[in-house]
Amino acid sequence: MAYTLQFGQVTPYLWYMAGGAWIALQLAGIAFLFGWAIGLVFAAVSEYGRGPLRWAVRGYVIFILNTPLLVQIFFIYFALPDVGILLGSYEAVAIGMALNASAYLTEIQRAGFRSLRRQELDAAETIGFSRVQTIRYVVLPHIVKVLFPPLSNQYIILTMTTSIAAIFGVEELTGRAYNINAETFRSLEIFSIAALYYVVLTFVASTVLYWIGHYFFRVQGKVF
Amino acid sequence: MTQLVIDRLSAAYGATPVLQDVDLTVERGEIVSVIGPSGSGKSTLLRVLVGLLLPVAGTVTVAGHKVDYRSRRDLRAVRDRIAIVFQQYNLFQNMTALRNVTIAPTVVKRRAPAEVTAEAETLLAKVGLADKTKSYPDQLSGGQQQRVAIARALALKPEVLLLDEVTSALDPELVGEVLDTIRLLAREGMTMLIVSHEMGFVREVADRVLFMADGRVVEVGRPKQIFDEPQAARTRDFVSRILRH
Ligand SMILES: Nc1ncnc2c1ncn2[C@@H]1O[C@H](COP(=O)(O)OP(=O)(O)O)[C@@H](O)[C@H]1O
Ligand SMILES: [Mg+2]
Repeated sequence: MAYTLQFGQVTPYLWYMAGGAWIALQLAGIAFLFGWAIGLVFAAVSEYGRGPLRWAVRGYVIFILNTPLLVQIFFIYFALPDVGILLGSYEAVAIGMALNASAYLTEIQRAGFRSLRRQELDAAETIGFSRVQTIRYVVLPHIVKVLFPPLSNQYIILTMTTSIAAIFGVEELTGRAYNINAETFRSLEIFSIAALYYVVLTFVASTVLYWIGHYFFRVQGKVF
Repeated sequence: MTQLVIDRLSAAYGATPVLQDVDLTVERGEIVSVIGPSGSGKSTLLRVLVGLLLPVAGTVTVAGHKVDYRSRRDLRAVRDRIAIVFQQYNLFQNMTALRNVTIAPTVVKRRAPAEVTAEAETLLAKVGLADKTKSYPDQLSGGQQQRVAIARALALKPEVLLLDEVTSALDPELVGEVLDTIRLLAREGMTMLIVSHEMGFVREVADRVLFMADGRVVEVGRPKQIFDEPQAARTRDFVSRILRH
């Protein structure tokens, strides 16, 4: 065990790696936002829709949930050009992650719809709420509260999943760590720092999400 | 003065008839208790009155106005005059006790928040919860939640209050506080339709008792008559069974 840690050799790259963390943050954010929006619509169709539309959505969700993300992105990146759809690696990864996340977020949000309490809806109706008022004052606050913890978790998972982009040459955090490693061979230092950046990204996100949930939606629970 | 007239009212869930030809007239200030075995249609009767279930036949007349439950305007008018409190409290979980009480007057009635808040605080004090205005439902006992639900119903200043087994979901030691609140309303002359299994309480506060079975009214009378000299065999049966408990 003659390895001497030489963080000095990698300090010039700290800022470069922070830039990679920023790209990871973007990818996670994009995948989450689009996945969440698609998931919300698909969850509503899964719960309240019927006929071919519902079957199409269910088929999509089941297919995505049962195939690896990596294969899905390979498909988008390498197979779609065969039918004339050419995407950059960043776009391919972002789209792949968003589509993949949308399936998970569909299933999570279905649970939110299902947990609506029939009784609160009766109460809302009998005190004279309109449909819009019921959604605004009863349905949405309830769904947000129920869904906040699992949605937060999904976001954290997405942050770490962004490292898959390195395979496609996207220079996000993992990709940049890999590049520096190829130049300096200070693997231990570099990948420790990369891991630390991920911890910071997820820890900051967890903490921010916790306080938002706690103060705005009365979500009970811990950061970790 | 007549407050509520229910005339040959029938209702069904899908093809299953649940209420059949129910007749009842309630005078202003009168307290009518509805009793009957589980599944006899008591809750359904109350749900039809507040427009949660459309009747299939018959009429309901509130303060002289015949209600068309298909008309939005009539529905709104009926829900102004008739308030309901459910067995499971049904409070909005994401709102404090105070907000539960103020939400309908401010949002539905668009009344001034300051005035509504003052009234709501008075109402919560009246049901014994002056110190719980800022608590959320999950921080309150069942009895306290039910009293908030009563305050919420009263906030719309209804002419008639419907109470559907409001103590059935409560631990025995919490029943008393909710019944005390209802007694208070009774003393103030509130017109009420009370579904309850608390026979001692029914005997005490009700002016009349209506016994239902299989979606039909079997017998209506003074509490003394229903409990002590029931006419119908089914009433006798039910009363003797429930009083033995
Ligand atoms: N949502 C519903 N769908 C179908 N049937 C129902 C529903 N609610 C009640 N019922 C049926 O209607 C009948 C009367 O129910 P209910 O009015 O709740 O009786 P009670 O309040 O006297 O116990 C019962 O047979 C019950 O099974
Ligand atoms: Mg009932």
